[in-house]
Amino acid sequence: MKTNSKDLVSILIGVIGFIIPFFLNIPGLSEAGHVALSIFIIAALFWMLEPVPIYATSIMVILLQVFFLSKQGVLFPEVTAEYSPDSYTEFMGTLANPIIILFLGGFVLADAAVKYDLDKNLTRILLKPFGSNPKFIILGLMVVTALLSAFMSNTATTAMMMTVILPIIAKTEASDPLRIGIALSIPFAANIGGIATPIGTPPNAVVIGALSNQGIDIAFTEWMILAGPLVVVVLFFTWLVILRMFKPETDTIPTDFEGKFQKNASAILVYVIFGATVLLWVTESLHGIGSSIIALIPVTVLALTGILDKDGIRQLPWEVLWLVAGGISLGISMESTGLAEWIITNIEWSIFSPVFMIIVFSLMAIVMSNFLSNTVSATLLIPLALSLATSGAAGEGFSLVLISLVIGVSASLAMMLPISTPPNAIAISTGTVKAKHMTRSGFVVGIFGLLMVTLYALFYWPIILN
Amino acid sequence: MDALVKDLENFEKIFPVETANDTTEAMNVIDYILDHGHKIGLVLCDHVLPGKNGVDLLIELQKDEATAKSKKVLVTGQAGHEDTILAINKADLDHYVAKPWTEQELQEVVRDQLTDYVIENEKNLLAYMQILDAEKLSEEMRKHKMTDH
Repeated sequence: MKTNSKDLVSILIGVIGFIIPFFLNIPGLSEAGHVALSIFIIAALFWMLEPVPIYATSIMVILLQVFFLSKQGVLFPEVTAEYSPDSYTEFMGTLANPIIILFLGGFVLADAAVKYDLDKNLTRILLKPFGSNPKFIILGLMVVTALLSAFMSNTATTAMMMTVILPIIAKTEASDPLRIGIALSIPFAANIGGIATPIGTPPNAVVIGALSNQGIDIAFTEWMILAGPLVVVVLFFTWLVILRMFKPETDTIPTDFEGKFQKNASAILVYVIFGATVLLWVTESLHGIGSSIIALIPVTVLALTGILDKDGIRQLPWEVLWLVAGGISLGISMESTGLAEWIITNIEWSIFSPVFMIIVFSLMAIVMSNFLSNTVSATLLIPLALSLATSGAAGEGFSLVLISLVIGVSASLAMMLPISTPPNAIAISTGTVKAKHMTRSGFVVGIFGLLMVTLYALFYWPIILN
Repeated sequence: MDALVKDLENFEKIFPVETANDTTEAMNVIDYILDHGHKIGLVLCDHVLPGKNGVDLLIELQKDEATAKSKKVLVTGQAGHEDTILAINKADLDHYVAKPWTEQELQEVVRDQLTDYVIENEKNLLAYMQILDAEKLSEEMRKHKMTDH
């Protein structure tokens, strides 16, 4: 274990933050609410200062809640008037929450696709129709990246697309701004594309998980109908921004996109399973089978056929699942102890209009996730928004689903800094893009995103949701 | 030797080049590097060295745990059959560069070898994208299930 003094200080701050509420008597907050506040503080500080990996903090959150807040824990064995403790299974159960299983299915599918080069070959086939005009090549790259990152991790998609664009960049003049445009188009499209489906990126999972705890289930198709149009608009706008800021000098790029699909039996099985699963997901509203139930099909078939072997299972990104589960779990006790409600009732919300609050939450999510992990940003904001909506403090027009969507989508719209998202970090590492290019264009995209989220939340989402 | 160092100056930002004129000096340099907590990514070694044979040096490095993973390249004009076979079998030789080399050839070999080295031994590949083979590093990241967070 490697720790430097900065990390030790961060840990100390977190622990002190954890202890403080035990010695306070905050009026209006239940005893259990104090404990939940302690857990919230240490989690938030650890997630923000990152003295330990963010997934480690998440798993700690689950343990702390089981220890201190569950019925089987040390502090609240009995149901009282102000707090009826959840069973420890509620907190642990988040590790097998339907949204976690949905993600598991997504991971397994994406892994199989990568193993048989489906992602690479699909990309090359899809890029062909975009010709050799740099403007349309960038559009093509963005569309394909967004499409793939809607079903695979944004980061893995970006890494794969780097293998596509690096040879293109090598063929262009060193002084041509086109290079910057191409290198920026990939991470931006990946960040944006992740918004499109529930499995696109973990913040979506946090939102869906939190809503399902409230008894609201968002179908795969429903999410796509809600988020898809926004993705298309923001993606198109980002393309225009990139073309304007980094105007290509050359008018043609020599490309040869040759896809060579593997044709062995396993590969074909993977194509079929991939296609069938995606098809079942996007038609959920027709057949009504939940997406997390469908997600078990590829996991099962790929395991039975040995395509997902023991090593493959071990190498799945379990830490992402822990991260999301911890986030969902934190939301449970913030709700049940009344902590979330206490936080929001300290502000006189009714003086603000719904529009104002949509903008505030969207802006907070964008700002936070520029500096923090997108998932963490969504995790910290969602419980507040949920209680704001359920308590009725915010008045009419502030619906539960609406504000959750605002936060979930906005968390993916942060792309100003190299540290904002892993795709951004990859793009910067190539040296083709400088941080200032990213900040300038990412700022414009972020502002536009904020505007679009606000407009969609006011005019489009209510139509779909009602 | 100077020509070799000059050809490799592009890599110096991340991979400082150290030189030695014979095997004794080489061992001292290597010990010095390791003692200071650094790692050795690549050893370029001539076959004919004053004192000990270059192939023997590579074999020794292969036996030592601290340098076993370092990439080993023989740069030579006159290694005979037997020495070459020995280097491959006993020192796990990674590449053979015949004299006279061109700047481009040498840089390519070094880039390839160091790329393989960091892929096999380092966790954060992003740090090497600008100097090494970015395409190969990206491909490796794609296969290694990088995730969002």
